[in-house]
Order: sequence, then structure tokens, then C-alpha cells
Amino acid sequence: MAKKKGCLGCSFPVAIVVGLIILAVGILSFLSGALGNALLGNIGLPEWLLAESPEVHLPTSVIFHFLGFPVTNTIITAWITIIVLVAVFYFGTRNMKLIPSRFQTAIESVISYLLTFCEDIAGEKYGRRFFAIVATIFLFVITNAWIGLIPGVGTILVQGADGHMVHLFRPVNTDINLPLALALISFVFVEYWGIKTLGAGYFKKFFNTHRFFHGFKELFSGKIKQAMGSFFNGAIDIFIGLLEALSELVRIVSFTFRLFGNMTGGEILLLMMVFLAPFMLAIPFYGLELLVGFIQALIFAGLTLVFATIAITPSHSDE
Amino acid sequence: MEGLGINLSSLLAQLVNFGLLLALLYIFAYKPVIKMLDQRSAKIKESIDQTEQIKEQAELAEKETARLIAEASKEGQKIIDQATQIGEETKQKAKQDAKIEAERLIAKAKLEIERERDDAIGELRNAFADLTVIAAGKVIDRSLDKEQHRQLIDKVLEESKVLNKN
Repeated sequence: MAKKKGCLGCSFPVAIVVGLIILAVGILSFLSGALGNALLGNIGLPEWLLAESPEVHLPTSVIFHFLGFPVTNTIITAWITIIVLVAVFYFGTRNMKLIPSRFQTAIESVISYLLTFCEDIAGEKYGRRFFAIVATIFLFVITNAWIGLIPGVGTILVQGADGHMVHLFRPVNTDINLPLALALISFVFVEYWGIKTLGAGYFKKFFNTHRFFHGFKELFSGKIKQAMGSFFNGAIDIFIGLLEALSELVRIVSFTFRLFGNMTGGEILLLMMVFLAPFMLAIPFYGLELLVGFIQALIFAGLTLVFATIAITPSHSDE
Repeated sequence: MEGLGINLSSLLAQLVNFGLLLALLYIFAYKPVIKMLDQRSAKIKESIDQTEQIKEQAELAEKETARLIAEASKEGQKIIDQATQIGEETKQKAKQDAKIEAERLIAKAKLEIERERDDAIGELRNAFADLTVIAAGKVIDRSLDKEQHRQLIDKVLEESKVLNKN
């Protein structure tokens, strides 16, 4: 590529003007934010420019009631996510061709990426069985995270059902009910796949009493020393089985709070940056949040997939 | 729990949302796209197989062609050899015929010449005998018995002829 004159694709005068504007906005941002206020005091800027102190509400706000059912701002935002996802895929797959258009290629590459992900971890047969749930978790989480970054989410205020002014949209992942719902779905499906694949054998790893009862057999046949060893090892097996069962349940909690914590933390981070300096300072953190959204979606989907793969693998106590 | 905002109605709503999304994406995204992906990979596999097959067939055809060409070349060579042989034979035969004919003609001519010569000699002898008889008659002036005389000359000539031949 030929080296162009100028700076960053602009001619020098344009680049200088752009630089000056950025500088001016930066200074204004510094002055109107909490940072400048703390260092310099209020130097007489109009009030609408001054950053408001952020308020963090963990519970969601009810916007209206539908047939007595409270509709919160996160539910509305989740509907938007659903509409966006379904619309994109509906138009992307409306008339599919063997030789794809660009849009179809984009859609297919997303699905194919997720399908390959599933098949790589769980194998071709089970990867396809797990695919629908795993892919939906991934797409839902990542779209929720990214839609939460769009201007307007977390800024538009409406009158809530209880009379207070509340946000109309709010990032869905910061409502703990969504991570909890996904964690429950993940848990239920992992157990379901495990039971479906291994049958009653699936519970062997939770109630591993085989060696313990083997000890009784040895006791009655007079081998007291071996019986003691078997009792001891059997007790350990039972304890491990209980831990196994507990860890299965703990996953729900870890799933929930991993996603909820990351997303809420990111949201608070952005709020704080905007509070410190309303313009520009938050931009790098938006980039960071894009990455975090992708990573959290991948972790949620990936862990579900891994747990499912572990669940369908016969336990070692059979041998 | 209250501080975190967990409540049953929102949880149920999000579960329903997820279920709805799962169903819709299954209908609009996963099923058609996976079908398409499988279809395409099947098609590609088929194409590759077909290409392989065509390549194989082409190779076979090439071999067959080469074989046919070799055969035809051999056949042609054989025909040319045969033709050359026949030509050679014909030539030899013509030569032989010509030679025989020539020899025959030469022999005939020789025979003719001999015959001519013998005739000429015969005639000459007769003429000579007559002349001798006349000359002798003139010399002795008396006519000899012609017949007797003739016999005498012939005898002489016969002797000379024997002498000549030897």
C-alpha cells in the first residue's frame, strides 16, 4: 500500500481540527466529571453537563403489570434480544441456497462455529444433541451483553408501576433471574442427558456404596482385615459421591453468580467511568465489555457443554 | 435474596423467554442451517467422489486409447511388410519372366541365323558345283556326263565340309 500524506487517512488540516475537537471534548469531560469537580471544584458549568452520581439497583424495576404478572425492564430488554436474534436468523435463513449469499454465509459461520465447538468437545453424536441448548445459551448471553452496551439501555427513564422514575431498558444479564434461569436450565439438561445416556448408572457416581457393602461380604466370610480396609475405602467413596452431588448443585450457584457478577461489575464499571468523566473515558471500557460479553457467553455455553460431556461419560467405579 | 432481586415471577419469565428463544432459533436457525451445512458437505463429498471417478475413467480411457494405437500401429506395420514382400516377389517374378523370354528370343534368333547360313551355304555350293562343271566342260571341251560329275564335286565338297567342321 502506498504511503499517504496526512495522518490516519485525513489530510493534515482535518487531522488537526479533529485532534482539537477531541482535546476540547476531553477537557470538557474532565471538568464536568467527578474527577474534575473533586480537583478543581465547580467552575460554573451548566448543571445539565454535570455528571450525576450513579445509583446501583440490583433488583429490577417493574414497568407495568400484564394480567397481574409484573413485567420488569429486564424482561422487556430480553424480548428485544429475542426479537433481534430471531429476526436476524429468520431473514438469514429465509431462502437458503447451496451457494450462499454474504448474509447467509455470516449466519452459517456463526452456527457452524458453535456446532464445531460442540462437536469438538462432546464428539459428533453428542455434540449435535447438546447443540441447541448450548448454542441458545451462547447466543442469548452474548446478545444480552452486547445489547446492554447500546446507548439508551440504562438511560431512558419512564414512570414505573410503583410511581418512581425507572429505566425502561436494562442489560438483561445484570438481572440475577436470568443467570439463575440459565443455570437451572443448564443443570436440568445436564442431569437429563446424563440419565438418558447412562440410565440408572448415572447415579452411581453419587451413591458409590459398592465397596462399602463389599466390606460386609468380606466380614461375613471372616476376612476381617480386608473388611476393615473395604469399609474405610467405601466410606471415602460415599463421601466423594456426596461431594460429587453437592458440586452438581453448587454449579447452579457458580453459574449464576459468575455471569451476574461479571455483567453487573461491567455495568457498574461503565457507570463509574461515565461518572468520573462523562465523555471518552468510558470508550476503552466499552471495548472491554464487548470482550467480556463474548467470554462470559462462551464460558456459560462451554461449561454447560463440558458438564454435559462429563455427565454422559460412565463413571470409573464400574471398572 | 430480596437484595439481589431474585423473585419467582421474573425467574419464570426468563425461563419462558429462554424456552421461546430456543424454540424459535431451533425452527429458524439451527434446523435449516445445519441441514444446509450437512447438505453442502454431502454435495462437496459427492463432487470430490465424482471427480475421482471421472479421473479414474479418463485414465482408463487413456490406457485403452494407447493400447488401440499400439495395436493399429502393429497392424499397419504388418500390412506394409506384407505389401513390400508381395512387391518384391512380383518384381522377382517379372525379372525372371523377362530373362526367360529374352533367352527364348535369343535362342530363336540363333536358330534362325543358323538356318539362314545353312541355306546360304547350300545355295552357294550348288552354284559353285554348276560353275565348276561348266568350267571343267570348257577346259576339256567335252561334255562330261553331267550326273557323274556332279557326284564327284559333291564328294569333294563333302570332304571339305568335314574338314571345315572340324
